[in-house]
Amino acid sequence: MPKIDNPTLEKELREIIARVTEIEPGEITLESRFVEDLGMDSMMALEILAAMEKKYTIQIPEEKLAQLRTLKDTISLAKEYL
Amino acid sequence: MIKDKVAIVTGGSRGIGRAIVLELVRSGAKVVFTYLKSDEAAAKLLDEIKELKGEAEAIKSDSREYSQAKKVIDGALAKFGHIDILVNNAGIIKDKALMFMEPAEWRDVIETNLTGYFNMAKACIVTMMKQKSGNIINISSVAGVVGTPRQINYASAKAGICGLTKSLAKEVALYNIRVNAVAPGYIETDMTKDLKYKENLLKMIPSGRFGAPEEVAKVVSFLASDRSGYITGQVIKVDGGLAM
Repeated sequence: MPKIDNPTLEKELREIIARVTEIEPGEITLESRFVEDLGMDSMMALEILAAMEKKYTIQIPEEKLAQLRTLKDTISLAKEYL
Repeated sequence: MIKDKVAIVTGGSRGIGRAIVLELVRSGAKVVFTYLKSDEAAAKLLDEIKELKGEAEAIKSDSREYSQAKKVIDGALAKFGHIDILVNNAGIIKDKALMFMEPAEWRDVIETNLTGYFNMAKACIVTMMKQKSGNIINISSVAGVVGTPRQINYASAKAGICGLTKSLAKEVALYNIRVNAVAPGYIETDMTKDLKYKENLLKMIPSGRFGAPEEVAKVVSFLASDRSGYITGQVIKVDGGLAM
C-alpha cells in the first residue's frame, strides 16, 4: 500500500467518521471528542475501526479501541498500522 | 443448527462442561475446551471425540488471568477465523460456613467463577461484535438464585453471573449477540459426589433425583442454536423444580 499523505488521510478518516456519526464532515474538528461532542457510542466506534481496517487493509488490535477519542487520535492510530 | 459453528467451553474436561463439549460436538460444532488440572481427563475426552469423528482441541488455561483467556480466544480465532459460541463453565467450590471461611477461599471462588467469566467474555466480545453474531452461555447455579448455606462465596459468584448475563445481554443485543445463563440445581458430578445429607436434599427436589450433566448440556445446546433465536438475558433453571 502506497503511503498516504497526511491531508488525504485526514480527509478520508473524517469522511468515515462523518458517515458513521451522521454529522457533517465540516463539523468534525481534529479535537472534537467522539463521545462528548459527537455522541458516539460503542457500536459507532467499532464501525469506524472496521471501516478503517477495510479501507486500508490493515488490522488494528481491539485493545486500541479505547484510543479512538478524536479525529487526531484516529489519524495517529491509522498511521501506526499503515 | 450448530453445525460448523466454533464453540469455546471453559472447564470442559469434567462434569457438566464435559457433557456440554460432547453435546456440542455431536451437534456438529468445532469445540475448543479449556481445563486447568485434569490432563488425563482432557486426553480421554479428546479420544472420545475422535471416536465420534468430531473436531475438538483442548487447551490448558487458567481463565482467572485475562492474558490466558485472551490467548485461548486468539488461538481459536487464528485457527477457525470466527468464534460463534462461548460457554463459560469453569467453576470451583470451597464450601464453608462464613465464620470459618478464609478471605482466600472467598477470593479463589469469586476469581474463578465470576472474574473468569468476565475475562472470557471480554476477550471475545469485540470479535463477536465485529461479526455481528455471537452467543454466550454462562453456567450459573440455583445457589446464585436462592442462596445456599456454607456457599456464600459460590452463591455470590453465581448470582454475579446472573447480573453479568443480563447486563451484557442488554449491551450487545443489537449486535445480534445473545447472552443467557443456565442455572443447574443438583447434578450428578464430581462436585456433588461428596455432598452430605443427600437424602434430605432429595426430599427438597420435586423430581426426587439429581440431574444428569447431559440434561444441562441439552439446554446449553438449545441456547447455542438458532432455535432459541429470540431468547436473551435469561437465566434458565435446570433443577428438577428445586427453585420455583
